[in-house]
Amino acid sequence: MENTFDIKKIGSPILKKILKYRMIIIIVFFSLFIFFSTFIQIEPEEVGVITRFGEYVRKVEPGLNMKMPFIEQVYKVPIERQQKLEFGFRTVKAGVNTQYSRSGAKDESLMLTGDLNLADVEWVVQYRINDPYNYLFKVRNPQNTLRDVSEAVLRQIVGDRTVNEVLTVGRTEIATKMVLLANQICKEYSLGIKIDQIVLQDVNPPELVKAAFNAVNQAQQERETLINQAKSEYNKVIPKASGQAEETIQKAEGFATERVNNALGEVARFNAIYKEYVKAPEVTKRRIYLETMSSVLPKLGSKIIIDEQGNNVFPLLQMQLNK
Amino acid sequence: MKKNKIIYSIITLIILLILVYQSVYIVKETEQVVITQFGKPVGEAKTEPGLKFKTPFLQKTNYFEKRYMEWDGNPNQVPTKDKKFIFVDTYARWQITDPLQFFIRMTNERGAQSRLDDILDGETRDYIAAHNLEEAVRSHNRVPASSGATGEMISDSLATISVGRQELQRMILISANKKAADLGIVILDFRFKRINYVQEVSEQVYERMKSERFRIADKFRSEGQGEASRINGEKERELKTIQSEAFRKAEEIKGKADAKAAGIYASAYNQTAASRELYGFLKSMETFETTFDTSTSVILSTDSELFKYLKSMK
Repeated sequence: MENTFDIKKIGSPILKKILKYRMIIIIVFFSLFIFFSTFIQIEPEEVGVITRFGEYVRKVEPGLNMKMPFIEQVYKVPIERQQKLEFGFRTVKAGVNTQYSRSGAKDESLMLTGDLNLADVEWVVQYRINDPYNYLFKVRNPQNTLRDVSEAVLRQIVGDRTVNEVLTVGRTEIATKMVLLANQICKEYSLGIKIDQIVLQDVNPPELVKAAFNAVNQAQQERETLINQAKSEYNKVIPKASGQAEETIQKAEGFATERVNNALGEVARFNAIYKEYVKAPEVTKRRIYLETMSSVLPKLGSKIIIDEQGNNVFPLLQMQLNK
Repeated sequence: MKKNKIIYSIITLIILLILVYQSVYIVKETEQVVITQFGKPVGEAKTEPGLKFKTPFLQKTNYFEKRYMEWDGNPNQVPTKDKKFIFVDTYARWQITDPLQFFIRMTNERGAQSRLDDILDGETRDYIAAHNLEEAVRSHNRVPASSGATGEMISDSLATISVGRQELQRMILISANKKAADLGIVILDFRFKRINYVQEVSEQVYERMKSERFRIADKFRSEGQGEASRINGEKERELKTIQSEAFRKAEEIKGKADAKAAGIYASAYNQTAASRELYGFLKSMETFETTFDTSTSVILSTDSELFKYLKSMK
């Protein structure tokens, strides 16, 4: 097809020169012209819309198709291709490392929330042309219209929500609701476009307020940290104290057992001695006394034995002892 | 001779072509046409697409758009009823429904756009200025979904509205259509595209948002500190409870044991006068053994039981 097209292009200047001499070339040229304005090729993702004298007559499917030359005109509409519109940013270079730009698109993404705060929302609208007739003939600039519709719809939805909802829990809900509402309006406008999906990309507080929002997150973390620290301190102290308490009690139990057993033992010993003592009290007593003395006296430092009449030696003894 | 023939036929052909060109015209799907004769509209407007005929030379075709067209408003700085300065950016869809009337009133599309500017911008100003900002932002009175800890913290709520965004748009649309009724056009839809604060106001809003957030942050922090103190207090209390309970139990146990021991001792030592005597005796003997050591000096009389035989064997 490209080849033949080239021939036609090259053919035009030559044609003027040859016009006066060879009528045949004119005929060949015209038949070629008619040929190419009769056969049309529609790509697999497209559909062809044919008008005759400006009036819509039929649609043609992908493949090779015929139309009447000159009076019929074909519009090719890519109905299978998913197209997308970006809001709040633009893809500068698509690829593995896609580059985005935010310049000039800032106003698009800044919007008022229901509690009169501001949020910065970037989103993508993915759509397809589902009615080529409407797309071509019902609305001028359908894409611009779609841009307007999505901006208005998102702002309407965000306008009914608090900034917290928009930033946190509301994301998916907003996107779902938006698809519904935007499709409804597309239908109303006979845009011939169906929105497949709306994806909210970055949803942020405005640049100048971001630090404050981060501070909140930080404070939240801080709170958790403080609580955790306190809990860990608690966990460090209380089980230890419980153990120590148990120890104290066990020790007391031990003491109690010991005390009672000692008492029992001492008493048993006493009772045994007492049994014998009752039989011969005087002798036993004396025996014990003397036994005790004989075991105690050797341990003593100085022992002085005096006569009961020798009381006068006491001063002397005092001196000796004090030496 | 032959040359003349060719020239004549060419001239005839050109005249014929001009004639056809002048009497035949095509109306595309996207167009509608008003035929004028010496500048005056003739007959009905041609709104159906296809091949049409007209009187050559005398009649002129005037093409108009049949599709829905966009109107994009300029961002208007408008004060709301509650004296907030905002930019309102609007858009509308409109269509030429009566090309004849349109041709008479507006001549062309540019004129219509500027007329729409006047009407819609004016209506927008009027309605925005007559309502509070919330009314233009919100559509419904809905209860916001809980949005986590932060949301609860500032007790997220939305002020109630009585009119709402959609209703405002609808009212502007109706009243604009009334004003545009004789222009041969219909405004199909009117919407607020963007509503934003003007520069100075947005700075104030940023400040407010910031202070709100800082307030939340402070609250989080103090909550953390409070909770930590609570846990710490609980810890101290439990510690004291555990320790004192243990002490009490231990003392009780010891006391009971003491009492039991005392009972045991008493039952043995207190049997008779003799047992009491023996106990006193044994105990003093025991005391000798435990209290005397090498540093103790003792003076014993020969009168004593121990040494009484020292003097004489009596």
